[in-house]
Amino acid sequence: MSLASDSYYMFLRWMKKLVRNPILLFFSLFQPIIFLVLFTQLFSSFGLLLGGINYTIFATAGIVLQNAFSSAFQSGTAVVDDIKSGFLTKMLATPASRASILLGRLLSDAFRVFAQSLIILVLAYGLGVFPVTGFIGYVLILFTVAFFGLAWSGISLALGLRTKSAETVFGIAGTLTFPLLFMSTALMDKRLMPEWMKSVSAYNPISFAVNAIRDLIMIGYNWNSFLLSFGVISLIAILTLGATIYEFRKVVS
Amino acid sequence: MPAVQVENLVKTYGDGTQAVKGISFKVDDGEFFGFLGPNGAGKSTTIKILTTLLRKTSGLANVAGLEIEHDAQKVRKLIGVQMQDTVIDEDLTGRENLELQGHLQQMHGEELKERVNELLKVVDLGDAADKRSAYYSGGMKKRLDLASTLVHRPKILFLDEPTTGLDPQSRAQVWSYLKGLNQTGMTIFITTQYLEEVDRLCRRLAILDHGEIVAQGSPSELKSEIGADRITLALANGNPGTGSLKDMAKQVLGGLGGIKEIVDSDEGIVVYAKNGGFLVPDIVRAFDTAEIKLSSIGVSSPTLDDVFLKHTGRRIRPEEIDKSRASGMFGRRRR
Repeated sequence: MSLASDSYYMFLRWMKKLVRNPILLFFSLFQPIIFLVLFTQLFSSFGLLLGGINYTIFATAGIVLQNAFSSAFQSGTAVVDDIKSGFLTKMLATPASRASILLGRLLSDAFRVFAQSLIILVLAYGLGVFPVTGFIGYVLILFTVAFFGLAWSGISLALGLRTKSAETVFGIAGTLTFPLLFMSTALMDKRLMPEWMKSVSAYNPISFAVNAIRDLIMIGYNWNSFLLSFGVISLIAILTLGATIYEFRKVVS
Repeated sequence: MPAVQVENLVKTYGDGTQAVKGISFKVDDGEFFGFLGPNGAGKSTTIKILTTLLRKTSGLANVAGLEIEHDAQKVRKLIGVQMQDTVIDEDLTGRENLELQGHLQQMHGEELKERVNELLKVVDLGDAADKRSAYYSGGMKKRLDLASTLVHRPKILFLDEPTTGLDPQSRAQVWSYLKGLNQTGMTIFITTQYLEEVDRLCRRLAILDHGEIVAQGSPSELKSEIGADRITLALANGNPGTGSLKDMAKQVLGGLGGIKEIVDSDEGIVVYAKNGGFLVPDIVRAFDTAEIKLSSIGVSSPTLDDVFLKHTGRRIRPEEIDKSRASGMFGRRRR
C-alpha cells in the first residue's frame, strides 16, 4: 500500500519537475522532430532503394525508438542531482518505501517516453504515416516504446548511482547513442548494410524493438517479431534494473 | 525514557577511518541538547547513525526507546531531520514541498492540508506558499526546509548546523522557532557553531573531538568547571604565529603566581586565572620588565567558547566557516 502511494507521489514530483522545465521539455522533443522532418526528407531517396516505399513510413519506428533511447538516458542525471542536493538523503530519512524512490522515477520515465512517442506519431500521421494496424497498433507501439524506455533508463540510473556524475552519464550516453542507432535497423534496412554491420545489427537490441514496431506500422500483426522484441526488452530490463537496484542498495545503506 | 541513548557507539568506515570511537551520552525527553565539536570531529556521522541514514559499527544507539537499526521505520516516523545543506526541491512550490514530505510520512487529505497551512504560517511563508521555491531567498529556503521536517509532528528533531550560512536576522528567526518548538515539548538535538545561542538555549551539551566526547553537562556546569576568568593577551609587533616572542611571553607568565592555565589562541595567548582582574597589573608589570609589548589585554568571565577551547584546543569561528561554505556552495551547485 505504502509502496503504491509513495511511488505515486514520487512519480508526481518528477512530472511536476518536467512540466516546469519547458526548455527541457522542448529540447527533449527537438531532436526526434528534427529527425522526423529533416532526416526523412534528406534520405527520402532511400525509399527507392527499398523498392519504392515511403522512407518516412519506414523510419518512423526508428525515430520513435531513438527518442526513447535518448530520453531514457536523462534519468540517471536526475538521480545524480538528487544525490548531490541531498534530496535523496532527505527522502531516506522518512519512512517512505525505498523501492518507491526508484519506481517513481522509472514510472515517470516510461510515462514521458509514452507522451513523447505519441507526439511523434501524431506528427508522423501529419506526414502521411498511417499504421496499418490502426488504433490497437498505436496502443501496442506506445506500450512497446514505454517498456523499451523503462529498460534503458536502468543503464543511466545504474551509471548515475555508481559514478554520481552527470557528466559521466552524459558522456557514456552520448557515445553509445549513435553507434547503437546506426548499427541497427532503425534508419536503414538490413539489405542495404555492409555485411559486418548486418551481423551487428542482427544482435542489436534496438533492431528487435524497431522491427516489431515497424511491422505494426507497415505490415500488420507479426506476433513473432512482437513477442521476440518483448523478450529482448525484458532481458535488458532485468539486467539494467538489476544493476540499478544493486547500485541503489549500495548508495542507500 | 530518554529521547536518545547512546552507549559505546563506534563507527569505522570502510577505509578504516574511525569517525566515532565509542561515545556514550543520553538526551532526556524534551531536552534542548547541543552537540558540538570542530569540523571532522564525528558530529555528522553520529547524527547520520541516529537518524537511520548510516549503520553503526558497534555499540548501542536508541531513539525514543527503539533500537535504531531494528526499528528503523518506526524511528523515521518519530524524528525530523534537517541536514547541513538546505534541501528542498526548487522546482516545487513551498506548499508542494511540505505536502510531499507529508505524503512520504503517510499523511493525506484534509489533515495534511491543514497541517501544511499551519506550518506555512509558522515559518512566515504564507504569502509565498504557491511560488516556486527556486525564487525564495536563502532565509526563506531554510525556513521551508525546517518546516518540511516538522510536517508529521516529530517527537525528536535532529538538526545539523541549521543556521550556518544564514544572515544574522534569519539565524535569530530559526533559533526562535526552535525555542518555540522545544517549549511545546519537542526534543531538539542540534549541532552548531554558534555558542552564544547554545549557551542561551541548550539545557545540556556534549563536546566531541576526534570521535570522542571530551566534555558534557549543562552550559553553566561546564563554564564553572573552568573556574577562572579569562585574560586575553595580544602581543604587539609580532603576529600571533611568531614563535619566539610568544614563547618568551609564556615563560614570563609561567613565573607569575595565581595562573591556572595558559592556552595558545589565534589572537595571542589566553590565560585562565581566578580573580583575573587582580592579575592584570602583575602581568603588565612583568611584561614591562621583560620588554615585551602588549597591544591589548582584556578580562572576561568564561564563556562556552572557553569551554570549547579548553577541551579541543581550538576555537569555533562561525564567520570563517560561513565564508568557506559559501564559496564551496557555488563550486558545487550546478544547475
